[in-house]
Amino acid sequence: MEDILEKIKKNIIEGRMNSEDEGFNGEMAGEPGVMELVQKALDQNISPSEILDKCLNPGMEEVGRRYEEGEYLTPDMLASAECVSEIMKILEPKLVKKEDQRKEKFILATVKDDLHDIGKNIVSTLLKGSGYEVKDLGTSVTPDEIVEEVKQSHAQFVGLSALLTTTMSNMKDVIDKLKEAGLRDKVKVFIGGAPVSKEFAQKIGADFYCEDAFDAIEKLKSA
Amino acid sequence: MNRGMKLKRHSFLSNQECQVIHDSSCRLLEEVGVAATSEKAIDLFQKKGAVYEQGRVKIPKNMVEDALEKTAKEITLHGQHSKDNIRLNPEDPLVYYGTGGQALNVLYYHDGEFEKKSAGTQDLIDILRICENLENVDFITRPVEPDVPEEKMDLEKTRIFLENTSKHVNLANLIKLDKLPEIIEAVKDKSRISFISCVLVSPMNLVSDTVEKFMDIVKEDIAVSISSCPQGGSTAPLSEVGEIIQVNAELLSAVVLANLVRPGAKVLYRGIPITSNLYADASPRWCQPESIRRIAVITDMTYFYKIPCCGTAAVSDEKEPNPQTVAEKTLSWVFESASGAQFINSAVGMLEQVLTVSPEQYIIDNQVISRIKELFSQSPDYDLAEIAQKAVHDALNMFDVNLDSQMKQDISNRIEFILSPKEEYTPEYAGSQVDTISKAIQSGRSSNKFMKASRAGLRKGWLYKGMRLEGQMNLDEVLRIKKQILGWDR
Repeated sequence: MEDILEKIKKNIIEGRMNSEDEGFNGEMAGEPGVMELVQKALDQNISPSEILDKCLNPGMEEVGRRYEEGEYLTPDMLASAECVSEIMKILEPKLVKKEDQRKEKFILATVKDDLHDIGKNIVSTLLKGSGYEVKDLGTSVTPDEIVEEVKQSHAQFVGLSALLTTTMSNMKDVIDKLKEAGLRDKVKVFIGGAPVSKEFAQKIGADFYCEDAFDAIEKLKSA
Repeated sequence: MNRGMKLKRHSFLSNQECQVIHDSSCRLLEEVGVAATSEKAIDLFQKKGAVYEQGRVKIPKNMVEDALEKTAKEITLHGQHSKDNIRLNPEDPLVYYGTGGQALNVLYYHDGEFEKKSAGTQDLIDILRICENLENVDFITRPVEPDVPEEKMDLEKTRIFLENTSKHVNLANLIKLDKLPEIIEAVKDKSRISFISCVLVSPMNLVSDTVEKFMDIVKEDIAVSISSCPQGGSTAPLSEVGEIIQVNAELLSAVVLANLVRPGAKVLYRGIPITSNLYADASPRWCQPESIRRIAVITDMTYFYKIPCCGTAAVSDEKEPNPQTVAEKTLSWVFESASGAQFINSAVGMLEQVLTVSPEQYIIDNQVISRIKELFSQSPDYDLAEIAQKAVHDALNMFDVNLDSQMKQDISNRIEFILSPKEEYTPEYAGSQVDTISKAIQSGRSSNKFMKASRAGLRKGWLYKGMRLEGQMNLDEVLRIKKQILGWDR
C-alpha cells in the first residue's frame, strides 16, 4: 500500500499524467502515471482521503519547494498542478462532503474580441491545483456572458484576461455590467495580461491586478 | 542616395531543410487546418477547394503551391519622393529598417531618469519628426496611436503621417473597415501606404474581424504584411523545428486566402517565432538568443518561396535604454540583416516587448545601425560570429559602456547560441513535431500541452540562460540630437 501511495506522490512531483506521458526529461513514457495509479489505489480499497493526505498535499508541497529553489520551472509546476486537478475529479465525488469543504468558485475569461489565453490557462490550472472550482468561459467572452455566469454560479471571484491594447478596455465593460446587475459587491475582480497594470486596475475599478499566474494565487490569499 | 543595404545573405537552413518544413506545414494545413469563423473567408476557401469541417479550414497542398506561384514576387513601396522608395524582391534583395508599433507608453528622459507616460498624439508627432531626421529609418510603422476616439483613429493617423513624414508609411493595423476608402482618398497613391495584418493567433486560428479587414486591403491591391507571432513553449512547440513548421503553416494559410481574394496579392511574409519565458511567467522573449535565431531562420522560407519578406528585429525585452538593450538589439539587427529579411519592422525605438518606445532609443538605434552598416560594407565576405561580436562591442563603446571579461563572455555565448542548431531538420523529426502540434490543438488546451511538452527541451537548454549586461551609458550626444530635432523645450 505504501508503495503505490509513494508512486502516486512521485508522479505528482514529476507531473506525469498517464503512461504515455514522457515526463520532464522526455524519457519516461511507458511507466504508469497518476491516472492509472490512482485508479489502482482505489481498486485496492485505499480511501480517497488517504490519497489526498499522503500523495496530493505532500506532493504539491515538494513541487512548491522545488519551484521556490529554482529547480522546477513554470511548466513543471503546471504539469503537477494539472495532475492534482485531474486526480481531484476522480476523488471528489468519493470524498465525504462537509459543509466547510465547499469549494470557492472562480470564473475566468479572456475578454471580448481577444483570443489569447496562455496566462488565463495557467491561472486556471494553478487554481484547480489549489482546490478552487474553476469555470473557464474561454476566449472572446462578452460582458453579458460573464455577468450571467456570475448570477448562475454565485462565484466569489472573476478573473479577466486581455493581451491586446485594443481589447483591454473591454474589462471595464464587464465591471460596469456587474455594477448594473447589482453583482459588483458580490465578487472580487482580478485582471491580468501584458498591457494592463495596477494603475489600469484602479482606473477601471478592478479589485486586483495580477502580474502573472503565481501572483494571482498570492493575491487570492489576501482577497 | 537610394535606400536599402545590399549584403551577402547568410542561410541558416539548406534548401532540403526548407523543403522538410514546407512539406510538414502543408501536412498540418491539410490534416489539422486553421480554425476560422469568418463566413466570408470560409466561403472563399471552400469554393476554391478547401474543406471546412468542425470549425477548421483544411487546405490541400495544391492550393498552397498555387497561391505561392501566384503571389507577388516583387513589391515596391513608395515614399513621398522616389529616393525613399522601397523595393522588395528576393531575387535581388536589399535590407531596409523601420519602426514598429502600437506601444502604449513613451519614455522621456528627464533630470537623469526615464519617465514613463501613456502615449498619445503629440508623441506620435514627435516620433515622426525624429525619424524623419534619422538616416537609417527607411520606413515608418505606426509607433503609437493618436489619442482620439477609435472612430477617428484611422484618418487622424493618416493625416498626421502625411504631414510629418516623407518616408514610406506603414499604418500597421486598420482599425475600422469602413475607413479604408477614405484613407485611400487621403493618400491618393496606394503604394504610399502599407499595412500589417495580425490575421493569425497561434496555434492555427484565423481571427474573424482581422481577416475581413485583411481581405479588403488585399482587394484594394495595397501591400500588407501577414504577421504571426507564436511563442515557443506556450502557443507553439518549444522545439525550433516544430515552431517553424507551425508559423510557416499559419502564414501559408493567409497567403492562400490573399491570393484567392486577388491573385498576385501584394503580401509580405512575416513570421515572428519567438519563445515564452518558461523560466518565469511565460511572457514573450523577443530579443533573447533563441528568438533572434528563430526569427532569422524563418527568413530562409521566404527565399525558398521567393516571396517578399517582412522581418522583425530589435524589440528589446528591457524596459529602458541600457547596455543590455543595446547589446540584444545589436545582435538582433546583425542576424536579421544577415538573414536577408528585407523590410525589417520594429527595428527602431522599441522597448519592453513592444509596449514602450522612447525618443532617445530611436536616436541610439539609428547610431548603432549606422555602425552595423559600416561593418557589413567593410567586410563583404564577413564571418557572422566575428561581425556580430564587433558590432556589439562597438555599439556599447559608442555610449562609453565599460565591458568587463564576464560581459564579453556572455556576448560570445549569445552569438554561439544563435549560430548553433539544437535540432535536426529531418522528415522524421519534423513529422513528430506535426503530431505534437496536432495533438495540442485537438486537446482544446493547447497552451498547457505545449508547455508540458517543453519540459524536455528546457532541460536540454533550448532557452538561453545568461547574464544581463549592467552599467551606465553616456547619452550626451543622443540628448543633443533629440534637442536639435524637437527643440530645447522638449
